[in-house]
Amino acid sequence: MDTVIINSTPHIRSPRTTKHIMLDVVIALLPACIMGCIYFGWSALLVLALSSISAVATEVVWKLCQKKNFKQILNEFDYTSCITGLLIGMCMSSSVKWYVPILASVFAISIVKMLFGGTGKNIVNPAIVGRIFAFMSFTTIMNDFATELTNGTVVSGATTLTNLLKGTASDLTLGQMFLGINMAGCIGETCKLALVVGGIYLVVRKVIDIRWPVIYIVTTGLISAALYKDIAMFMPSILTGGLFLGAIFMATDYVTSPNNKYACYAYYLCLGILTAILRYATQMEVVSFCILIMNLFVPIFNKFFKPRPFGSKPIKDVIKDFFAKFAKKKEV
Amino acid sequence: MIKNGKYFSRGIHIPDKKYLSKDIPIREMETPSVVAISLGQHIGKPAVPTVQVGDRVLQGQLIGKADGFVSANIYASVSGTVLAIEKHRNVNGAMIDHVVIENDFKYEDVVLEPLADREPETIKARIAEAGLVGMGGAGFPTIVKLSPKTPVDTLIINGAECEPYLTCDYRLMLEKTEEVLKGIKLLAKAINVKNILVGIEANKPDAIERFGKDPDITVVVLKKAYPMGSEKHLIYCCTGRKVPLGKLPSDAGIVDLNLATAYATYEAVELNKPLYERFMTVSGEGFNQPMNLKVKIGTRIDDIVNYCGGLKDDAAYLVQGGPMMGPTMISTDIYTTKTTSGLLALTIKDVNVSNPTPCINCGRCASVCPMHLLPMQIDFYTLAGDYEKADSVGGVMNCISCGCCTYVCPAKRSLVQSIALAKGKIMAMRKAQQGGGK
Repeated sequence: MDTVIINSTPHIRSPRTTKHIMLDVVIALLPACIMGCIYFGWSALLVLALSSISAVATEVVWKLCQKKNFKQILNEFDYTSCITGLLIGMCMSSSVKWYVPILASVFAISIVKMLFGGTGKNIVNPAIVGRIFAFMSFTTIMNDFATELTNGTVVSGATTLTNLLKGTASDLTLGQMFLGINMAGCIGETCKLALVVGGIYLVVRKVIDIRWPVIYIVTTGLISAALYKDIAMFMPSILTGGLFLGAIFMATDYVTSPNNKYACYAYYLCLGILTAILRYATQMEVVSFCILIMNLFVPIFNKFFKPRPFGSKPIKDVIKDFFAKFAKKKEV
Repeated sequence: MIKNGKYFSRGIHIPDKKYLSKDIPIREMETPSVVAISLGQHIGKPAVPTVQVGDRVLQGQLIGKADGFVSANIYASVSGTVLAIEKHRNVNGAMIDHVVIENDFKYEDVVLEPLADREPETIKARIAEAGLVGMGGAGFPTIVKLSPKTPVDTLIINGAECEPYLTCDYRLMLEKTEEVLKGIKLLAKAINVKNILVGIEANKPDAIERFGKDPDITVVVLKKAYPMGSEKHLIYCCTGRKVPLGKLPSDAGIVDLNLATAYATYEAVELNKPLYERFMTVSGEGFNQPMNLKVKIGTRIDDIVNYCGGLKDDAAYLVQGGPMMGPTMISTDIYTTKTTSGLLALTIKDVNVSNPTPCINCGRCASVCPMHLLPMQIDFYTLAGDYEKADSVGGVMNCISCGCCTYVCPAKRSLVQSIALAKGKIMAMRKAQQGGGK
């Protein structure tokens, strides 16, 4: 022991790093990607590849502009841009033009992520903005879901959710909706089973807490059922559209969700209510818009829902004191 | 009596690595040729030296007198000649007066006057006289803890030993069961309480069994978690009471003391022996021979390292105390004190070499914080230089510096250091404000 090392406490650290966590998210996204490729064929794979490669490439170009060398970039690479790219690809139809996923990824990474300062600094989820950017810019292309599936079925232009919200009866069973068979929609959103498998992987690896997606999905379903005054709406309303993808992978993004459990309860509850109401009002798929809106309110949730330090006055006493004060004021 | 304790629901579960030294009996280390005894081993004012250079001192002779109430007496741990009274670095890097004594290997010792009775006041006077301090690591003079300003009804003995690697309290519980129990009863008598609880973590079943046989005390089996040994959490897990924020345990009617302090009480009262030696664990993957030792206070770290067969080649650095809160040694030329509960040699694998990456707001630090604070927000505001905001948002002053947040952080940020910085700055600011007000 010739050199003295001064290390800061604690001297033991958990082996998990940001990289490991983000790699877990990538792994969790894979089942849904694979199922999308099986349903929609090679074109789906092309979309996913284009979006994720362009997202990573954009980040690399930005870092090169910051005068970082390749070794530094490799060290700093934490798979977040890869996740963003994959998510953008997953919420597109397989029949989009090749430049749509590329433009969406470039926009998401450069404007939403890198301009705000890179990983951990963005105020809204880049993948969500990428998706909304594509929807706004290429409305006709993005809303055209008519395609021939690999099993030969030709699906209609409108998605199952749009039909459902407009009151058109769907000929799909709940099982078909859950597995995404013969269903029009985006590459990663149709097979709910694959998304749930990915979600379970994340829960087992302790990347996300099972409570948050469950609260979001169940709230949306219940409020939708209440709005349509029909409990039978519960299952179809959660099984169609991008709710599962949004709830499991987009809303639970660390950077843009609250940082403690009290704020999280309130956040996901509000998110569920907002999604159901906006869906009812606009008759459109609005999960991404809802998450975008709620992302902007995260600091407020963090501010008002905070854990109370261990040993604070019991909540009972706080309420009692409040009423005592109130009573005193009245007397005066 | 044995009962199960509560759990505070947060905290972390880390591999305890106690197997390295768990089954090794306590050995008395041979006395070194030179000892240097620090005069500032406790919280409070340093002791005033009562010997001069060139004096001959005996083992157990008073060499430093307590300066005021919050201070402690210091005793010589070997017999010999005082070589010097000089400034020397302590483990935190501060320069503290040390009394350097050359050992003459004659082992002549003096003991304190035997006590006439076992009345509370006599026991308390003896505890103050013998220079007892909290031996868990903080070094708060025991007599101050035994003189609470509010009525107390419960004595809690901390046998949790929640830090990884450390096993000296566990060995003490096994090897000196009777003595420790007697010490605990003396302490209970001193503060006049009947309800005695001993908190022991569930990973020490044989210690629980031994202590559980005694009818007068209640052993509380605690879940294995870090930081179970933290005062506030131990009290909550044993009694269900929460110490109010910014208050002392005595405000909740509790006195809480360390197990090693109970043993030192037994020695001081029954054997009339002042505090000049203590038990410590020498462990870690970097040591050739992990051991549980009884060492004289003032032993050089270098001597301990050599006694334990030296370091392995991959040993990278030494830590005093546990790996979660213990400071690193700046050199081996440092001397043990009353609070040195462990000496660990950690390997290069343990060193945190990765640079901190940006916070991803995952909330892991907040979910493990046993004080329910928001470390990521404190870190954010502290690095921006806004300490007041850091306190109002995150609650800096309630931090117990346990290091759980920093342990779990996937971005490897030094959260506990940020909090310590903010704490220091806020204390300085408040002091300045008070000074201005006067």
